[in-house]
Amino acid sequence: MNTIAEHIADFLKEYSPFNHLTFEELSEIATSIRVVNLEKHKTLFQINDILHDSFYVVASGVINLSVIADAEETLLNKCNEGDIFGLRPFFAKNNYMMTAKAREESIVYAIPIATFRPFVANNSDVLNFLLESFAVNTRNPKDKENLIGKLISDNVFYSDQQSEMQYFQSLTYNNSPLITAKNAIVQDVAQLMTETLKNNIVICENNIPLGIITDTDMRSKIATGRYPITISVDKIMSSPVITVVENVSLAEAQLLMLKHNVTHLCVTQDGTDKSTLKGMITEHDLIAAQASNPGVLIKEIKRSQSSKELKQIRERLTDLIQTSISKNIPLSHVFNIASEINLALIKRSVELSILDLGSPPARFAWLSIGSQGRKEQLLLTDQDSILIFEDVAADKYKEVKDYFLKLGKRTTSTLEKIGYDLCPNGHMGSNMIWCKSLTDWIKQYDSWMNTPGENSNDLSSIFFDYEITFGEQRIEDAIGNVIFKNAKNNTLFFDFLGNDALRKNSPLSFFKKFNVEEEGLNKDKFDIKTRALMPLIDGARLFALSYGIKGINNTHQRFRQMAIADPKHGEIYLNCAEAFLVLSKFRTLEGLKNDNSGQFINLDEMSKIDKEKLKNALAPMKELEELIKSKFQLTQFS
Amino acid sequence: MLDWLKNINKEYPEFWKSYLAKFDKKSTRFVVISTETSGLNPAKDVILSIGSFAVIDNSIIIADNFEAVILQYKFFHDNGLSTEFLVETKMQKLGEPDAVKAFIEYIGNSVLVGHHIDFDVDMINEALEKLDCGRLKNEALDVDVMHRKLTDANDKQFSLDELCKIYNIPKSDRNSASEDAYKTALLFLKLKSRLGIK
Repeated sequence: MNTIAEHIADFLKEYSPFNHLTFEELSEIATSIRVVNLEKHKTLFQINDILHDSFYVVASGVINLSVIADAEETLLNKCNEGDIFGLRPFFAKNNYMMTAKAREESIVYAIPIATFRPFVANNSDVLNFLLESFAVNTRNPKDKENLIGKLISDNVFYSDQQSEMQYFQSLTYNNSPLITAKNAIVQDVAQLMTETLKNNIVICENNIPLGIITDTDMRSKIATGRYPITISVDKIMSSPVITVVENVSLAEAQLLMLKHNVTHLCVTQDGTDKSTLKGMITEHDLIAAQASNPGVLIKEIKRSQSSKELKQIRERLTDLIQTSISKNIPLSHVFNIASEINLALIKRSVELSILDLGSPPARFAWLSIGSQGRKEQLLLTDQDSILIFEDVAADKYKEVKDYFLKLGKRTTSTLEKIGYDLCPNGHMGSNMIWCKSLTDWIKQYDSWMNTPGENSNDLSSIFFDYEITFGEQRIEDAIGNVIFKNAKNNTLFFDFLGNDALRKNSPLSFFKKFNVEEEGLNKDKFDIKTRALMPLIDGARLFALSYGIKGINNTHQRFRQMAIADPKHGEIYLNCAEAFLVLSKFRTLEGLKNDNSGQFINLDEMSKIDKEKLKNALAPMKELEELIKSKFQLTQFS
Repeated sequence: MLDWLKNINKEYPEFWKSYLAKFDKKSTRFVVISTETSGLNPAKDVILSIGSFAVIDNSIIIADNFEAVILQYKFFHDNGLSTEFLVETKMQKLGEPDAVKAFIEYIGNSVLVGHHIDFDVDMINEALEKLDCGRLKNEALDVDVMHRKLTDANDKQFSLDELCKIYNIPKSDRNSASEDAYKTALLFLKLKSRLGIK
C-alpha cells in the first residue's frame, strides 16, 4: 500500500492513454514512477542523446519540445499538464530527435518503458494512442482537431522539408459530395447547390458516378439559354467523370487536373468510373492543402458552417502571423491582413447567427470596437463590439430589441468558441446597454461628449475606435457624423480624453530603468500594453478626433495622417508611428511565445539589444505627452 | 558516573549492529521522512505514523518508500483516546518495535531530509532508546534551513505549507505523514537544484 502512488494513479487516469487502464493497473505503474523536478530552462534530453529508459508525463509546468536546424531552434510543441512525450524509446532504437526543455519550473513523472510495455501489448487502445502520438505532426491544426486529447509527436518535419513533403501528403477532401439522380430537374439541382454552397454535383446511378455538373456547366449551358432550366440534368452534365483512387497525393491530383483540363476529380472505390463514389476533390482542396495564405483563409471563412471550422481557421491565422513576422514582413502589412481575416471571422459569425435566427426585423450595424476597430488585433484578445439597429415604431421596439439581443448573444458565444474571450467589462453587442437603436446611440454619444465626467464610469475610450463589420454602412456614417460634430471646439471633452490618456504610469523610471510590475502574478514583468501601447493609442485617438480625421482608425496610420495635418510637429508623430510598430512587434512576439495576449513582457528573457530597442521605442512617448499637455491645456480634470 | 563504561559492554540488538555497519561507506541516497506524532514532547509523546521516500539522482523513487501506522494501543489507552484512527487506516500497521526496526533497515546510511527534521530525529531516538539502541547516526538536512539559507532570512521559521506556497507545490486536501513526506521531497528537489547540492 503506497499512498502517493495512488495519488499519482488518480492524476494519470484523467489523461490519455492512461484512461484506458484500470485503477489497479495505474497504481502498479505509479509505484514504479520516478518524480523529477526540472528547473526553468533545464534540459531533460536533447537531440542525439541516448534514449532514456522511460517516457515522461508532465505533472505540472510546461515542457517545450524543439528541434534545431541550421542553428535555429524551432519549437515543435509545448507540453502541458497531462501531456506525454519522449515516446521514442517505445518504437525506435536510435537517439532522441528533439530537445525537451522546461519552459518554466516543472515536475514530470518518468514512467519506465519496461513497466509500461506489457500494458501497451495487452491493450490495443493504448498502443494506438501511442502510435498516433508518435507519428502525428501536431503542428497541423487540422489533425489536432481530429484527435482526442493532445498528442505530442516525436517525428520531426523540418520546416524547409515540409513544402516538398506536402506534395506527397494525401489530400483531405469532401467525402460526402452532393449526389442527384439523372432525371432531376436543373432548377432544383441549382437550388440545392446554392443552399449548400457547393459548386458541383455528381449525377449517380446506384452510387456509380455518371457525370458531373459544375458552376461552369450552369453558366455555359443554362445561363446562355441553350437549354431551359426545366430540363433534366443528364442533358447538360459533363460525362464521363475523371476518377481517382482514394488517398491520392496532392501532386497526382494536380497533374490529373492539368492533364484533363478539369477542376473536379471524383474519388471512387477502385479508381474507375464503374465503382462506388467516395468523394470529390476540387481545386479548392488543392489550394487549401498547399498553404495558409490569406486569400484562402478568407475564402474558407466564407464557406464555414460552424464555429469549429472557424476556430481551425483562426489557428491557421496564428501560424500565418508567426511566419510573416519571422520573414520580416512589415508589421503594418501584417496588421492589415490579420484584421481582414478577423473581420471576415466576425462577419461570418454574425451571418451564422442570422441563419439560425431568421432575417432581422430591421436594418442594423455590428461594429467592432477597441483593438479590432483599430485593425490592430494580431493575438487572440478579448472581443469588443456594439450593435446599432435603425429606429422602429414604439410598439415594435421591444420585439426588435429582443431579436438583436439574441443575435448578439449567439454571435458573441460563437466568437468565444473561436477563441476570442468575452470582454470582461461587458463591452459587447450581447449586452443590454450596448445593443440599442440609432437614436439611443446618438444620445449616448451626445451625453458622453458634452458632459464627460458625469457618467464617466461607463465611458470607455474604446467606443471611439469603431469599424463596421456587418450591416448597414449608413448607420456607421451617422454615428461618425455625431462624433465629429460634437468634437468640434469641445474643450471639455478633449480635456477629459487628454487626462485619460496621460493618466497611465510612465514606462521608465527616473533612472531610465523599466518600471516593472511590483507584485502579483506578473511580478518583475513589464506591462507593455498599459505602460507603452495604450498611451500611444490614446494619444493618436485624441489627436485624430481633434483634427477631425475621419475613417482612419489605425494608430499607426493616425499618426502618419497627423504628421500631414500638423506639419510643425510632424517629426514627433512619425516617431510615435514608428515606435508603435516596434512595441506592437514586441508584444506580438511575446504573445506568440506564450500563447497569451502578450501584455506582460519578461525582460529577463530579452537580449540586451532588444532591451535597448524597446527603451528607444519608449522615448517618443514623452514628447507626445508634452504635446498633449500644451495643445489641450488640460485643467478641469487634472 | 561510570554509565558510559556499562554501555561499552552493552549488547545491541542485531538490526542495530547491521545498521551501524552500513556507515563504513558514504551514501548517495537521500531519504525524505515525515512523522506524525501525538504531540510535541519527545519524552512523553509517541510516533503515530511514518512516511518516507527515497531521492536518488534528483528524482523521487516512488517504489522506494516506507510508510507505516504504529499501533500505539497502550498510549491511546493511557491517555483515554479513541483508537478509531488505528482501526480505520488502510496503511501497513506495525507495533512500535517492528516499525522502528523496519524503518532503520529502510533508511540505512542515507542522508535524512525533512521539515524541522531535528524533532523527527528526536522522536525516533526516543523510540530507539526503548529498544536499547543508540542514537541515529545519519546526516540530516532540514528544508526550512535550506530555504532560509537560500533567501538569507534568519528571522523566522517557515511552515511546510508556507514553503509549498513559495515553491508552487500543489496543495492536496489529504493529510498524512506520506503526503507531507512527498511534499517535502518535492521541496527538497527544488531547493537542492537551487542550492547546487550534488
